[in-house]
Amino acid sequence: MSTYGARQAPSAFSTPASITLFRRLTWEGTVPLEIRVDAKELPANSDRGLECYFMQAPRVSYLPLLMPEIKRFLMDVVFDEAAGKMLKEEDWWFERDDGSLLKWHWPIGLLYDNSIISASIRLSPSPSSAMAQTVPLRLILHLASPPTDKLLLSPSADSCKQAFMGQLKEADFIRWGNTKRMTGLRKAEQDGIWEGIKERRLPVSIYLVGFTSNPTSPPTTDNFDDYWRVASKVTPTTSPTRSYSPPPPPSSASVHARPPSADPNAAAPDRDGAYSVRSVPVRIYLPEGPVLQDLVPPVLEDGGPHTLATFLSTHLPLLFPPERSPSSRTLAYPLVQGVLCPPEAEMAWLGACMAGADGWVNVCIGLSKQGVR
Amino acid sequence: MAQTSASPDVATRALPATWTTNLHLSSDTGLLQEGLDALEGYRKKDPNKVVVRFRAIGNAPIMRQNFYKITVSNRFQAVIQFLRKELGWKAGEPLYTYINMAFSPAPDDTVSNLFKSFATDGHLIVNYSTTAAWG
Repeated sequence: MSTYGARQAPSAFSTPASITLFRRLTWEGTVPLEIRVDAKELPANSDRGLECYFMQAPRVSYLPLLMPEIKRFLMDVVFDEAAGKMLKEEDWWFERDDGSLLKWHWPIGLLYDNSIISASIRLSPSPSSAMAQTVPLRLILHLASPPTDKLLLSPSADSCKQAFMGQLKEADFIRWGNTKRMTGLRKAEQDGIWEGIKERRLPVSIYLVGFTSNPTSPPTTDNFDDYWRVASKVTPTTSPTRSYSPPPPPSSASVHARPPSADPNAAAPDRDGAYSVRSVPVRIYLPEGPVLQDLVPPVLEDGGPHTLATFLSTHLPLLFPPERSPSSRTLAYPLVQGVLCPPEAEMAWLGACMAGADGWVNVCIGLSKQGVR
Repeated sequence: MAQTSASPDVATRALPATWTTNLHLSSDTGLLQEGLDALEGYRKKDPNKVVVRFRAIGNAPIMRQNFYKITVSNRFQAVIQFLRKELGWKAGEPLYTYINMAFSPAPDDTVSNLFKSFATDGHLIVNYSTTAAWG
C-alpha cells in the first residue's frame, strides 16, 4: 500500500520476532484475583477461616472458565459436603468489592484494567498505589439470586463461547467490512481458537512437556502456538518487509522457517496487512463507563500512521487536548493490556500485537491524580 | 498489572514523558477534579435517534413495520427486547439477532457504537432468526 511506504524507517517493534514477542506477552499476561464468598451467603458449617481464594488468572480468559477451579476449591475446603451439594452453580455471580457487577463475557484482563481505572477516579489515601504495585482484583462471589437482567448472559462456558465468537466476527467485520476470514475457517479451526482460551486457564505446571500435537515445534508450556496457528489467519500483521519487497516465493522451506504467527498470507501480503484494514477493532473504556467505539483507520488522510495520541485527542479531546502547551497538565492515561502505552504507538500495531484473544484492542482510560502546573 | 506483560520492554526503554512526568509528584486533587469534569462530558446520554431496520431471516415472522427510530444511548439488549415485544415472542422462545447478516453484537454494546461502525446507507440493519444463522 503506497501510503504505508511514506512512513519513516520501520520500527524495531514491527519485525516478525517483535510481533511474536508482544503477542506472546499479551497471551501470557495474568492478573491476580482474590475471590471471597459473600459471608452472608456461606452455607451452614462452612469453614469460615478459608473462604478466600487467590489465583493468578490469564488476561485472555473469562470468569465462566475459572468456575470449575473455584468451585473445586470451595467444595473441597470451605463448604460442608451436604450444604455444598445444595448449591446451584448457575446461580453464582461475581461482584467487585465496590459493588459493581462483573460481566461473564468480558475478558478477565479487561475486568482487571477496568477496576484500575475505576479506582483512579476516587480519592484514595495513597493515590499512587494503583499504579505503583500490583493489587489483586477483589471479587465477591455470591451464591444466589443473580441479577440476570444486568449480567445479560448466562454463566455457562457455552454462552461465553458464543459471545467470544461473536466478538471475533465483529472484529473481522470492522477490519474488512465482511466476515469472510472468520467464516472461511473450518469448524475445527473455530473451535480450536476457543479451546486455546479454555485451556489457557490451566496453570503452566499442569502442562506435560511433549503433550503438543506438532512434533516439529518446541515443547510448549501453554497453547500460544495452537491459538495463533488459527488466529494468524484472521489477524493482520505489521511486518515491515512486506511493503518494500515482493512476497517471497511460496517455498515450503521459508514457510516452515517462520513461527506460525508470522506466517505470510502467500497471495497478497500488502492487501492483508495491518495497515490495509478498513479499521482497527478498538474500544475505549472510560472509568465506570461509557464504552466508546468508532471506525479507526490505520493510516490517516495525510498518509501517516494513526497514532494513539491522535486517536485519543480525536475521540477524547477534553481528556487528551489536541493542542498541548508545555505547561498543560496530563489529565488522563491509556492502558492497553495493563500497559501504559506511549502516545506514538500506532493503532495498526496495537491491533496486530496488543489485541485480546477476541481480536479487540481495549484502551482503558484512567485519570491522573498527581501533577505539576 | 503492567509487570506481567511489559517488563522486557520497559527495562530497556523509557516511557515517553508525555504521560509519565507527573506520576511520582505530589497528589493534586485539583488535577483529578479537572479530569472528572472532562469525563462528565463523555457521560451525557446522547438523545439522538437513528433508524434501525429489522429484517427477518428464514422462517422468522415479518414485521408490519420494519423501520424504527431508536435512541442511540440504548444498549443492543434493549433493541432485542423491543424486537421480541413487537413479535410477541414469549420468554424462552429462541430469537437470534445479527448485524449486517454477519455477527451477533454483545448485548451491552450501545446502538450508538454499532451505528457508527456498521450503519449501511444511514440505517443499522438488524437481522433476526428463529435458528442460529451466522453462529
